[in-house]
Amino acid sequence: MKGFSFDLTISLIAGIFVCLITLPIFALFTATSFGELAVQFRSPLVLSAVVISLETSLIVVFLALCLGIPVAYLLAMKDFKGKEVLDTLVDLPISMPPLVAGLALLILLGGNSKFGNMLRSCGVDLIFSKKGIIIAQLFVSTPFLIKSARESFESINKNVINASLTLGASKFDTFKKVLLPLAKNGIYAGMVMTWARALGEFGATSMVAGCIPFKTETMTVAIYQNAMSGELTSSIAIALLLIVFSFTLLLIFKSRVKRERQLTV
Amino acid sequence: MGIVLKRIFKNYNGRAVLKNLNLEINKGEFHVLLGPSGSGKTTMLLVIAGLIRQDRGSVFIGSRNVSGLAPEKRRIGFVFQDYALFPHLNVFDNVAYGLRIKKVKESKISERVDYYLSKASIEKEKDKFPHHLSGGQKQRVALARALVIEPELLLMDEPMSSLDALTKETIRDELKSIQQEMGTTTVYVTHDQGEAVLLGDRVSVLNHGEIEQIESPDELFYHPKTEFVARFVGAKNILKVRVIEINKHEALAQVNNKGLGQPVKVRIKNYPIFKKGEEINLCIHPEKITLKRENEAPDANLNRIRGKIVNKTNNGNGLKATIDIGGMELHAAVPKNLFDYKIHEDIWVCFSPDALHPLCGKKCRSPGARKKCINGVIKTVDYQLC
Repeated sequence: MKGFSFDLTISLIAGIFVCLITLPIFALFTATSFGELAVQFRSPLVLSAVVISLETSLIVVFLALCLGIPVAYLLAMKDFKGKEVLDTLVDLPISMPPLVAGLALLILLGGNSKFGNMLRSCGVDLIFSKKGIIIAQLFVSTPFLIKSARESFESINKNVINASLTLGASKFDTFKKVLLPLAKNGIYAGMVMTWARALGEFGATSMVAGCIPFKTETMTVAIYQNAMSGELTSSIAIALLLIVFSFTLLLIFKSRVKRERQLTV
Repeated sequence: MGIVLKRIFKNYNGRAVLKNLNLEINKGEFHVLLGPSGSGKTTMLLVIAGLIRQDRGSVFIGSRNVSGLAPEKRRIGFVFQDYALFPHLNVFDNVAYGLRIKKVKESKISERVDYYLSKASIEKEKDKFPHHLSGGQKQRVALARALVIEPELLLMDEPMSSLDALTKETIRDELKSIQQEMGTTTVYVTHDQGEAVLLGDRVSVLNHGEIEQIESPDELFYHPKTEFVARFVGAKNILKVRVIEINKHEALAQVNNKGLGQPVKVRIKNYPIFKKGEEINLCIHPEKITLKRENEAPDANLNRIRGKIVNKTNNGNGLKATIDIGGMELHAAVPKNLFDYKIHEDIWVCFSPDALHPLCGKKCRSPGARKKCINGVIKTVDYQLC
């Protein structure tokens, strides 16, 4: 009986969690009619926000891969002075409020800073541009890729790496032919989380790039702008698109991981 | 020359793991590193492989000083304790890995991989992934993968520790025959004395980062030089004696082990290192002890000590008996068919004076030293013999 009560309690708690996630989504779906949504999906403003969001977030995933994999490798495989500092720096953007991140980037890249002026004199203007969106999203989302890839690298048997070295492979060969293939699921998971975080980024993006329609207005910024100006249907349409994107990507990722597990177990 | 290690030192977190370690292994030799956990065997192997860097000292493979070389440039094959197969590659690709790294032509790769897979008797499994293989099969793949690159040196780190007895026996025989056929210099790490005897041309016994003795398996087992080696190879009977009389062929010694109530005297072959009044440790292998009933007439040429059987344990073909000789225990290994004694039965423990062997206490010399203790005689020898 005690066991049954325990199972019942666990099931009830799980039920509360499921409601917590599904009820708001359900509310969104039922807040407007399909006809109105269809009109919104064809609206140039909504389409522009979707394109800007997809474009910037996908570039961010690529850049996060280039930046994050070497850092993850360094943290997972090497012992060096200052490792804890680097590790903490990786965690910092996750714990830092996005608005603070946005403010810091705005000060660094803005016209009043030496660095910002230097960039501007080189013809690189990051503030209130798509490049600014990318920098802001990169800042807040790269740690997700680093943490996930690092965990995967760390889980690889060290003797497998040693075996590769004793078979004549250089460190780079070993990285390419052993580490990357074995860490790929963790890297994919990191990419999905990075993409989702970049797609949903609002605070830092709006601080650095502003909310210029057809130029820097991402989906999240558009949701906020439209909701504040009373265009709720437009907000709902974009919000639903965001949910569909995230859900589809997660589903594809999970089924891929499941298929690979079935192949290797 | 196969490998030379000269004055190797290695510390981990302030703890000395290898202490002034010197070793020479001949080309084509199957050399076993034997020792308990934590004795530095694996560290020594990793130093030879270049997977960890020694703090001091040099490593030579053939005539090359490889002390500062990365592992990939040392031309070695390494079989790890956990096999370390690449989980994302099938058996064929695992074995082909080293050849692909060397950019060997695919046609040659196929030929060579097939050859080594068949040598390791694993050719039927070449399309399988490691997680579909048994421990023994993984072992064979790991061996084929290490051999296919035709290394100058094969290093094996307790490769059979997780195999069942039957598989271990089969693979051990195959490994020895492959090694003899290919003539690859091999260094094999184990803590199993049985494996060391069956595989090694010579065996080095390590203790706390130092080599206690380097010897052929027979010499090591029947003529250990130190108390540690004697105990480790199973010669647990250590008699602490004082030499009280020396004749031309024999000496008389009094056993002074702690706890021994009655004084016991034993006759022993006269070794040149004996000096009257000197204390020395003698060792006798359990196999060299015979047991006689009290009413049986013992051979007059044998030493005999009265004792009581206090324990017996089954050891496969034989029995191990523990005999109390009055405050001290001796161990005897007796064939099952000759053992019909009961626990607490009074018996005679008998052994020939030749069976006792002095533990001269000399550890293995480092290169440059010229003395060696052979059967209790200090001789000047070429250091390669030691």
